[in-house]
Amino acid sequence: MTTDSISALFASAASEKHSGYVIRSVDVKRVYKMGDSETHALRGVTLDIERGEYMSIMGPSGSGKSTYFNMIGGLDKPTSGKVYIDQVDIAQLDPRELAWLRCRKVGYIFQSFNLIQVMSCIENVMLPMAFAGLDAEESRDKAMDILEQVGLGDRALHKPQEMSGGQQQRVAIARALANSPVILLADEPTGNLDLRTGEEIIDLFVMLRDTLGVTIISATHDLKMLKASDRVVWIDDGLVTKVTTPEEMDISVADVH
Amino acid sequence: MNQLGIQEKLPFARAMRISIQGIRIRVGRSLVTVSGVVLGIAFLMSNLTSQLILKAVQSERELKQTVDLMQALVKSEIGVLEGKQIAVAVFGELSNADEQLLARIRSGEPAAIRAFGVSGAPYESYPLEKVGEGVVAMLVLGDAEVAGISLGDLTAGMSQKVVLDSVDDRRFEDALDSGVRRELFFGDQVRQRQAELKAAEKQALFRTIWIAAISMFVTVIGVSNALLMSVTERFREIGTMKCLGALSAFIRTLFLIESSLIGVVGSVVGVIVGATLPLLVYGFLYGFPTVLGALDYGLLGLAAMGSACSGTILSILAAIYPARVASNMVPAAALRSTV
Ligand SMILES: Nc1ncnc2c1ncn2[C@@H]1O[C@H](COP(=O)(O)OP(=O)(O)OP(=O)(O)O)[C@@H](O)[C@H]1O
Ligand SMILES: [Mg+2]
Repeated sequence: MTTDSISALFASAASEKHSGYVIRSVDVKRVYKMGDSETHALRGVTLDIERGEYMSIMGPSGSGKSTYFNMIGGLDKPTSGKVYIDQVDIAQLDPRELAWLRCRKVGYIFQSFNLIQVMSCIENVMLPMAFAGLDAEESRDKAMDILEQVGLGDRALHKPQEMSGGQQQRVAIARALANSPVILLADEPTGNLDLRTGEEIIDLFVMLRDTLGVTIISATHDLKMLKASDRVVWIDDGLVTKVTTPEEMDISVADVH
Repeated sequence: MNQLGIQEKLPFARAMRISIQGIRIRVGRSLVTVSGVVLGIAFLMSNLTSQLILKAVQSERELKQTVDLMQALVKSEIGVLEGKQIAVAVFGELSNADEQLLARIRSGEPAAIRAFGVSGAPYESYPLEKVGEGVVAMLVLGDAEVAGISLGDLTAGMSQKVVLDSVDDRRFEDALDSGVRRELFFGDQVRQRQAELKAAEKQALFRTIWIAAISMFVTVIGVSNALLMSVTERFREIGTMKCLGALSAFIRTLFLIESSLIGVVGSVVGVIVGATLPLLVYGFLYGFPTVLGALDYGLLGLAAMGSACSGTILSILAAIYPARVASNMVPAAALRSTV
């Protein structure tokens, strides 16, 4: 994976480098009601995420990381509290604006890949481009470029179920980058990758942040990823318990493991 | 700063391609859905076809009985036909029964059949006033009223003066006072039987409508259920597409395209299966020439068109609810489901 060539793809996105907060969440709560029982997945998360920041989120399983991603990615509505993306309260957006936001502003990398099983790799990567209005020719070329850069050029026509977990994860990453998003939400992106590919992902994230100002928010338990990020937010039982820098990590990692 | 845009709709052709691709890959699943439509439409079509075949075979039989009845009267009035002269006066159109009766009379080898008002072969045609001396009886056939012709004049040259009429013995103005003996082919009994047949036909129509309603119900339930299942098992896919920028309208379009393709394919196959099966069964039962010869192909075509169209339309209607369920899902919820 060559970081140089990916940066070329983002040439247009680079000009969108603004300062200020790209995402703000204010006292976001999310309660899941299942019959009589209630699960408080988020109990009031207030976080300001700066443009161009690479933020890691850490927390034990079930602490609410994925739920928080859903809130700030416009995939779910908070029970209470507000989420602002680019100063816009996303609760105020109509469905078409929300779809536009999901399509062009945010790239999602899911914990469980969520590739579309009936489509080949390249078609998976082309899909968000189609939604963005690119014609088939153009999107095929662009998708092929991105796939080559995540090292899957020769696998473009394979179906997801014919690939390993790590390969699927890379397709998912390629798809997330399809429309040159300014925000990348990655839920355990290196969970299924070997050490070397994991490092390549980290390099890619750092490059996206440094050269293009992409804001990256990533949930992870990977020490290397934590170290590469600007800020580590610790979540436990639906609340932010602490915010540290990677430099302070060495001591605190012991608490987790 | 607030440079948000509005998501454009995906062109229909793109949606079509994505939908067809999905169906192609999920062949097994799609086949199950299609077979639901096939079943419902085949049921409907086979019932319509059976009705048509039965009606055709029955009217054939009915016709034979009618001709038998007419022939019996001819026999009792005239006796053996061989060597006798018979006159035939036709007013208006000959019915099927009339024609078959004439054919049978001809095969009884009478000396001559003098036909009036019939143009062309196989009967010699004479002007009306020339009913000759040796003529023993006259058959009055056809469905028209007789105007301006006197029965007395017409039968003046006949030796026995027997008139057999297939419609009404008073269609000649002077019928009652001409002194000519008139016999009707069809007595009250036959007329009553015809009325009964009409009533039975009405009943058969009701049954057909009832069966059609049931099979349409089967189709709707079957397709709805199959599509609902295919929505449920695709929650994740739908959620993912929404994350990538799909509009709800696109998801709806996807399911509607899928269901209309399923509807068209299922209906066509259903119509073919539903028409073929009863043709085979009744063909073996009554003989293929009888069945194929008597069938009303216009009505059969109409039944096929109706069944195919209703199958397609019902499939699309059946998809509306599942499509709405799918398109209204919150992406996060759709993504979580693990079906
Ligand atoms: N749709 C849902 N319905 C009910 N409960 C839910 C739902 N989604 C999440 N939860 C609950 O909310 C809590 C937080 O879940 P979440 O998926 O955010 O955890 P997580 O931090 O991402 O965990 P992991 O590291 O295992 O992915 C859990 O207790 C989970 O059971
Ligand atoms: Mg999670």
